[in-house]
Amino acid sequence: MSDLDLVGQLRPALHQVQDAPTPDQIDHARFRAYLKTSHDVGGEPDVPGVFELKEEEAWELNTYVTCEVLGWRGIWTSEERRRIQNVDIGRTIYLGLPYYGRWLLTAARVLVEKHHVTLGELIERVDEVRRRSPQQIGAEPPEAAPRVVGDPAAVKRNHHHLAAVGKGDPQCFAGMAGKPGFGVGDQVRVRGLPTLFYTRTQEYVRGVVGTVVKVSYESLAPEDEAFERDDQTPEWFYLVRFRMTDLWEPYAGCPGDTLQTELPERWLAAVDGATTRED
Amino acid sequence: MAQTDEPHETAHDDLHPHAPMVEEITDFEVLEIAVRELAIEKGLFTADDHRRFTEFAEEIGPTAGARLVARAWLDPEFKRLALEDAIAASREVGVDWLEPTGFGTPSDFTALQVLEDTPKLHHVVVCTLCSCYPRPILGNSPEWYRTPNYRRRIVRWPRQVLGEFGLHVPEDVEIRVEDSNQKHRFMVLPVRPAGTDGWSEDDLAEIVTRDCMIGVALPKPGVTTNAVTAVRPAIRPAEHQ
Repeated sequence: MSDLDLVGQLRPALHQVQDAPTPDQIDHARFRAYLKTSHDVGGEPDVPGVFELKEEEAWELNTYVTCEVLGWRGIWTSEERRRIQNVDIGRTIYLGLPYYGRWLLTAARVLVEKHHVTLGELIERVDEVRRRSPQQIGAEPPEAAPRVVGDPAAVKRNHHHLAAVGKGDPQCFAGMAGKPGFGVGDQVRVRGLPTLFYTRTQEYVRGVVGTVVKVSYESLAPEDEAFERDDQTPEWFYLVRFRMTDLWEPYAGCPGDTLQTELPERWLAAVDGATTRED
Repeated sequence: MAQTDEPHETAHDDLHPHAPMVEEITDFEVLEIAVRELAIEKGLFTADDHRRFTEFAEEIGPTAGARLVARAWLDPEFKRLALEDAIAASREVGVDWLEPTGFGTPSDFTALQVLEDTPKLHHVVVCTLCSCYPRPILGNSPEWYRTPNYRRRIVRWPRQVLGEFGLHVPEDVEIRVEDSNQKHRFMVLPVRPAGTDGWSEDDLAEIVTRDCMIGVALPKPGVTTNAVTAVRPAIRPAEHQ
């Protein structure tokens, strides 16, 4: 049951030969393009699509709930989930699988990566569930039937799922970041930092000057939270407003149009006056 | 297409050009069961945890958000609260953002901001990085909101994309796109439409659709449905559980 032909056709469609190039074939732009975090799609050109609703499959609801309960019980934070399911999986799977298919692979992955199950256990269980599933078209899937109930005390859990109770998140980080470096009305430039592995600072705002419109809250930066670094210091986040004409050239709307997004302090630099895009 | 006895079949196929590809038990269904069984067997969570969160997920929907908007239109004090402390205003319409875990849903956080439209300002919400959405007060996000297509284009060509939803924003109205990329969640407080004088909170809430609170539609007397209504059916829908 070889899928070699189909797998070959599912290669990332970069429309360029890519087959283990030598180092001299990778310039800065190509390096950035390969390392771009696959979730960051804002501003990519696309043609109009069909917008529709979708009735939820039972497995999709179960998957969503499993992922949220894993967060509730301190197995991960949602930012670890987002990093694995939206970036670690790579662009082909990111665009190629259904939305909740990616959630599901990520729940499976975290069980293995955090040593709650071995990969062998997972594979054997998938095979076992498949064998007890009815084979005929239109049959209902089997019920989930855990054989034992595990000991919750034996499980390694994060600090966050207890620390945030009664406060909420980001409120659980309040008072930990010191004095905010920027205030409402300040002009800031989004830093043009390199991107490796994860960020929530979009490519389309990097290098652009905007105005702080709200000092939002204190929190761990996504670059820390996504890797379970709750040993790191929280920082201030800011809601920053940009003029569309500064973000896009040319901008096909009206000159007064704007865009707002939220950024952690590490991504912002002070500016006075200048409003041009950094190279 | 061959004639059939089913009068709606042709219309149905036109609405849903991509018929489901598989009707056997899917790889996703198998993997989902395997993961859930193992997580319970290893003590990561209990079957009861899963059941409780499912009940929460099935209860949430956009009616609380519509109630918040309608009340803000009628009560200036409440509107001030909604704009200054949307979490507190949510409680007034029955939404406790700390539920169901005591610290909120793990993926939605507990920071909500209400974006107030004016006759010269129109907000529209997107999450270009995933699908961040105020689930506790609007329910789960619609499929189109999660598509790369909407996320790619709305931040760069908002007027064109809104036009595809049937919303044509005049040139003297500023469009403000909110890219919801961190822990804040956002919902739009639209302008109360003309022709609603003397309406009750219930009447007003009826015309505040989910799409109005995302910002891809405007409330209008007589319109109680979303801009997008085409539904792709599930093979084995969650409702049958």
